Amino acid sequence: MKNVLLVLSTSGTDDEVIAYAVGRAKKDGAGLVALYILDPDLANSVFDNFTDIGFIGDKPSSALSEAIMKEYRQRGYEELGRVQIKAMEEAVGFEPLMEQGGYVEKTLDVIAGMGVSVAVLVKRKQRAFYKYFTVSHADEVKKAAGCEVVIFVEKG
Amino acid sequence: MSVEIDTRPIWVLVALKALRPLFFIALALGFYWLITIEPPHGLSAAGLKAIAVFAVCLVLWVTNALPLAVTSILAMVLVPLFGILPGKETYALFGNEAVFFILGAFILAGAVMHSGLSTRIALTIMDRFGASPRRLLLSVYLLAATLSFFMSEHAVAAMLFPIVLEVAKSLGLKPGKSNYGKLLFLSLAWGCIIGGIGTFLGGARVPLAVGILKEISGATIGFLEYSVAVFPLVVIMLFVGYFMLTRFFPMDVVDVQGSHAMLGRRLKGLGKVSGVEYATGAVLCATIAAWMVIGRHGLSVVALSSVVVLFVLRLVKWKDVEEYVNWGIILMYGGAIVLGTALDSSGAANWMIDALVGRWAGNPIAVFAALSLLAILLTEAMSNAAVIAVLVPVSVSLSGTLGISPTILTYSIAVPAGLAFMLPMSTPANAIVVSSNYVSVKEMARAGGIMVLISWVVFNLVAYLYWPLIGLGR
Repeated sequence: MKNVLLVLSTSGTDDEVIAYAVGRAKKDGAGLVALYILDPDLANSVFDNFTDIGFIGDKPSSALSEAIMKEYRQRGYEELGRVQIKAMEEAVGFEPLMEQGGYVEKTLDVIAGMGVSVAVLVKRKQRAFYKYFTVSHADEVKKAAGCEVVIFVEKG
Repeated sequence: MSVEIDTRPIWVLVALKALRPLFFIALALGFYWLITIEPPHGLSAAGLKAIAVFAVCLVLWVTNALPLAVTSILAMVLVPLFGILPGKETYALFGNEAVFFILGAFILAGAVMHSGLSTRIALTIMDRFGASPRRLLLSVYLLAATLSFFMSEHAVAAMLFPIVLEVAKSLGLKPGKSNYGKLLFLSLAWGCIIGGIGTFLGGARVPLAVGILKEISGATIGFLEYSVAVFPLVVIMLFVGYFMLTRFFPMDVVDVQGSHAMLGRRLKGLGKVSGVEYATGAVLCATIAAWMVIGRHGLSVVALSSVVVLFVLRLVKWKDVEEYVNWGIILMYGGAIVLGTALDSSGAANWMIDALVGRWAGNPIAVFAALSLLAILLTEAMSNAAVIAVLVPVSVSLSGTLGISPTILTYSIAVPAGLAFMLPMSTPANAIVVSSNYVSVKEMARAGGIMVLISWVVFNLVAYLYWPLIGLGR
């Protein structure tokens, strides 16, 4: 069975994006896979910041990064729940996934492993100047994925 | 396995790959050029080398290309290597009283955190006083500020963040959307920042500044003397901060019962106050009282004595201390004092003052205002300890030219260097708030920018109007 993949944003995914992914799965007669990725780099950067600049010890720094990861995990469950409700309303088959690792690597793994035909991603708005120096994760996935990739730009 | 093709121009890809090595090569070449040119008139060869080391450290501290402590190690390598100070003298500066005061204060703060006393105080205050949205917000804000009087503001931010996160969760606040969420997290960061300037204990920057001041001029600042001098600034900024926060982000919740229940549960989970908590609190109070009574001399003796008492009473184990104290702090602050002393003893600091501010250095008020502005702007982009290391040695050297007390000039840097409201890189408290996703960088910069401006004005007014009343002046 074909699948539409929706990769959820850690800062909250717009209803419009969720509606598009669910609608697309319904239109294509496909299942919907929602993926929430926990990026450990985020917690690591907080840890580094507090140890390198704040000079506080490993224990409070670790507790802090764990609190952040826990918070993101909880947000992930909530985001997946939102998608599930929408999918149920539209009678679309739904599979939630929560993975820990790099965004590009994990997304490509799911695309390859779950027969994804369309991937719906969200990226942050980026100024034209920075596009020369950085590539968004969503664009990296688009280049490497062997399927159609639809990218939405986050508002604000 | 898929093959990724990067379509960016080849020169961009090569430049990005080579950026870090090129940066260090350029830095090394710049350093080499500086130490090999003919010293300008009035500057000795050692002074020129000291300026070269200073420039390298400044670049590394601003760019964070190396961890702060490692940049300090580099200073300690370069200073004796190029003969700016003898090796023996360089490493002896590590024994500076300020370094041991900071060490003792950090171990004491670690013991308070380890005992669970700080968490209990935080939960109790939020639970008892946080009955309405406004009161809960004030509890977080004033709690962060008050705790930062007694322990490092970074440690306070790290300790309170998970609690505030749970409060936000229990109230169902949406990250990035809820104004009350923004208020809670910004009040945590701003409370820590404003409280952190209140005493020597809020951050290691003030003891560092005092350490450099003592090495260069022999003058010093007492524990109580400092707090009395900055007290009006702290009070005014706490009022201003709360006013600004609630204007920027009007409250959008009416009920905080959810958080009340959560805090009550957490508090119950802690059980009764333990003997360790009582004893650790007593040691902390006795230490602060001793610092206030002793004044200018013996701060490190008190700090280290308290550490010994903690172990005598078996309140902490060495393993606990290691978990709560980052030993990089000794390298960072030791290296900063070495750099400051090198600049002063080689004559480089005096030369830089003559060259940079010679013409307009006639007006002490203008110099004070300019130095404080420079400190507050620099601290938005770099670590506040680095701002102290860079600016205090140079500004203290101004005292002779201007006839201002070096103590006053130290205040002009040490206090504004803590007022970093704008950006995540300014201070870890800001970084953690942004990482929560409740507050965006743009929102923090907008509200923080106004706070920076107001705090600079208030600081200068306090210095101009209040300090003469308590005998701080020329």
